[in-house]
Amino acid sequence: MTQLWRTPRRGTLRSRLTIALLVALLTALVAAGALAQGKSALIGKLEGPEVVADPTKFPKTFKEAPQLAEQVKAGKLPPVAERIGQDPLVIKPLHEVGRYGGTWRGGFTGPADFWNGFRCCSGPDHLMFWDYTGDKVMPNLARSLEMQDGGRTWLVHLRRGMKWSDGKPFTADDFVFWFEDVYRNKDLVPTPTAAMAINGKQGEIQKVDAQTVRFRFPEPYYMLPDVLAGSTDLAGQWGGYKGMGGFAPAHYLKQFHPKYVGQAELDRKVKEAKFDSWVRMFLFKNDWALNPELPVLSPWKTVTPINTPTWTLERNPYSVFVDTAGNQLPYIDRVVLTLAENLEVLNLRAIAGEYDFQQRHLDLGKLPVFIENQAKGGYKVYLDPGDYGGDMIIKFNLNYDADPEIAKWFNTADFRRALALGIDRDQINETFWLGTGTPSSVVPADSNKYNPGPQYRRMWATLDVRKANEMLDKIGLAKKDTEGYRLRSDGKGRLRIEIMTLGGQFVQFTQISEMIREQWKKIGIDLVVQEVERSLALKRTAANEQQLGAWNNDGSEHLFTFPLHVFPFELAAVASSGPLYVKWFHSAGTQGKEPEPRMRELMDKWKKAFGVPEKERIQLGKEIWKIAAEEVYIIGVIGMGPASMGVRVVKANLGNIPSRQYNSPDGKTPGISRPVTFYWKK
Amino acid sequence: MLGYIGRRALLAIFTVWAISVLAFVIIQLPPGDYVTSYIAQMASMGSVVTDEEAENLRIQYGLGQPIYVQYYKWVKLIVQGNFGMSMEWRRPVTEVIGERLWLTVVVSVSALFLTWVLALPIGIYSAVRQYSVGDYLATFIGFVGLAVPNFLLALVLLYLGFTLFNAHIGGLFSPDFQDAPWSPARAWDLATHLPIPALILGLAGTAQQIRIMRANLLDELRKPYVVTARSKGLSEARVILKYPVRVALNPFASTIGYTLPYIVSGSIIVSLVLGLPTVGPLLLKALIAQDMFLAGTIVLLLGVMTVIGTLISDVLLVWIDPRIRLEDT
Repeated sequence: MTQLWRTPRRGTLRSRLTIALLVALLTALVAAGALAQGKSALIGKLEGPEVVADPTKFPKTFKEAPQLAEQVKAGKLPPVAERIGQDPLVIKPLHEVGRYGGTWRGGFTGPADFWNGFRCCSGPDHLMFWDYTGDKVMPNLARSLEMQDGGRTWLVHLRRGMKWSDGKPFTADDFVFWFEDVYRNKDLVPTPTAAMAINGKQGEIQKVDAQTVRFRFPEPYYMLPDVLAGSTDLAGQWGGYKGMGGFAPAHYLKQFHPKYVGQAELDRKVKEAKFDSWVRMFLFKNDWALNPELPVLSPWKTVTPINTPTWTLERNPYSVFVDTAGNQLPYIDRVVLTLAENLEVLNLRAIAGEYDFQQRHLDLGKLPVFIENQAKGGYKVYLDPGDYGGDMIIKFNLNYDADPEIAKWFNTADFRRALALGIDRDQINETFWLGTGTPSSVVPADSNKYNPGPQYRRMWATLDVRKANEMLDKIGLAKKDTEGYRLRSDGKGRLRIEIMTLGGQFVQFTQISEMIREQWKKIGIDLVVQEVERSLALKRTAANEQQLGAWNNDGSEHLFTFPLHVFPFELAAVASSGPLYVKWFHSAGTQGKEPEPRMRELMDKWKKAFGVPEKERIQLGKEIWKIAAEEVYIIGVIGMGPASMGVRVVKANLGNIPSRQYNSPDGKTPGISRPVTFYWKK
Repeated sequence: MLGYIGRRALLAIFTVWAISVLAFVIIQLPPGDYVTSYIAQMASMGSVVTDEEAENLRIQYGLGQPIYVQYYKWVKLIVQGNFGMSMEWRRPVTEVIGERLWLTVVVSVSALFLTWVLALPIGIYSAVRQYSVGDYLATFIGFVGLAVPNFLLALVLLYLGFTLFNAHIGGLFSPDFQDAPWSPARAWDLATHLPIPALILGLAGTAQQIRIMRANLLDELRKPYVVTARSKGLSEARVILKYPVRVALNPFASTIGYTLPYIVSGSIIVSLVLGLPTVGPLLLKALIAQDMFLAGTIVLLLGVMTVIGTLISDVLLVWIDPRIRLEDT
């Protein structure tokens, strides 16, 4: 019966695909003309500003924005040197010292788009942060980080005289308050974060003196500097809305905490402000993007919140950031992000030159149009390819158990490898990336410190139909039906596998999967493409119902702080290589399913890396990528492309703009290019 | 008449309650909840929500509770005049809807106004001058207006506005006036942004109304009472406007029940395309994000408006058309 109705349905699918391909090819042709000026002209040299760590090179005197100088004159603000303190955070701008003034216009898509502002305008306010290459961890808000006791104890030295945006001192008490009253409060944070733990054992935060904080862990935690630098729960005020961050403004938040005001008084406040509970109110008050009253450490602070049509941020008069000439940063006075009801409007506004610097939400598919309108819109287009190996990857769910036959093949390495060899990556790259991506396995860019070596770039990531067919024949899938598709080994007809995709993303996963479906016909594999709504995708993945899942592996270039796309690490994922492995991993082997030996080896190495010095960790990282590339738990399709937030449109007269920047969630791009140093040329 | 209205009102209250149950159930039907859609949203923006964080969110929003408990909590809030907190916007629902509601009303009412101002005279003209060149022209344009999907029209106008006139893309205000306090200059700014959305929204409706008006009036024009009026020596304009037009207006009155909710939600797709800050896109987003309180309140609002609209059209019909009599009088 099923055969009867399925046949015509496949026919319509095929014609739909033909149309989709025709359209894609046409687009590619048009694009080819626009791109004739060369991919190299769009992808520049990786560069960026640097943090000056040597105190002898610090500026001795400070200057400030004219409007702040006026307020000082009027007696409304203390002098600039007092506001910055004794230990400024000195940044050497990329090209030159800039000038004050102006507005930076951009677009955002609503209250869930808070990363937009954190990435552009939070400084970033991490204790530690990456240099512009994304490889090296440097002191940021912290003056320095000192390791003691073989990695069990870490001393954070704060900057003397540094202040919150309301002028109150930023001290060790803000860390203790966060740890004792926010993080350890079971109502505010019911489940603790892995970032505060090593090998599953939670650490502690203590005050040494006003300027010194001690992080103590039961076991060596060599990864802590990276954890403080990455997009983790200990990385600055962005985590405030969920009770995270590592520190919080104690002097302000105490008025919303039952320990300090009493439950009765607090209940009255909650009711007055129409909140459901004190927890919701507290987390609201600690939200960098929502609460303009919240004291912050970032160079810009929210003045009209993210849940209004315009998210506006203004300079923080107490910003600790300065340039090499002693100018307090930022140069640009205001950041105005306007709400775009949908992505098409946002892209069209970028094309019309209504944004000064925008890369979030810009669509690679529109690159030719962006280039065409450069002169008219007064902007320049840059591409920032990512350092991760997959703008598109395909995950095999190794735990799939609804169909034992499929489960068997997914757990056969040569089956996975053969499928990887059946993909024509060049065709996909030309059609969907306009040739700007790199056909690749899952391993990160060559420059990445965890890259295992050049021979892994195309390992099982070339087109080799003959070899793929041989491998599939050999493992027991030699029998084919009249249409040339391989038959199941249990005699139940054709081997048909499903891939789950999501629509409306930065990468056209569904359309690319349709192309792979055509390509896999040559190796006798029948692929069914299923586009699902995103909540359904999550539910099916967590319920172990996904077979193949298409997604990207962005973030995996920092595999220790962002392991989700290296091995099964989170249940809540739109594509998973094994939800039962996730449970096994987090329950220390008491739940879920024990992984196969090589996957287990990979997981063990990852866990071990947190407790060993950096040199050893880099070695472990390389070994992890070797296993990943050899075993092909995840097929790499196209990587190191600009598809995810890598198309950047910048006004021509904006200064200190890098020709290429490190593009990654961990780098809070463009945060890694220090937008505090951007300025308007005359 | 009072008894009639009273009975209707009672029934209306029951209907509203039923709508509230339905609204809540329908919103719960799709798989997952606010937290799953939040995770998915974060994932597509290149960041990650840990399993611990997801669990924390579920506890804070009370999403783990059975559906009837959640419904009870919601209704309890509504009875107190509090529609709850939008999960996504993290502001009281009334505030989130409030600021967009009246902009929506402005857009939709201008579209409606445009529809009627165009449709009534053209409809009357086409009926009275049936098969004239003018009638054919109006019919032709009308059908084109009906056949072109309005979102397509919106896209085309948006593109033309950008390439030919360098107009600001989308929205109801220029960037300078976006957050400005109300002033004559801001009102004027709004007025200059209104014609395009009003035209796009009104066009399909206009075509439809022209056809309805024309057809109804044609039926009436041939009836003996028109001949009688004419033979009494009344002027032609008076004959037509006083009698047959009045009768032909019936369908307009009876569609008010649908017009009221249309004012709030009719412009979803066009608003999305044009980037208008109205309730339509808000509803769509709330449904996608499974922001229960926000989506529930908007659906409830639409339901209430349909009920009130129906009530109004019932009363209006009685008033306009003397032939409609109440059963109990």
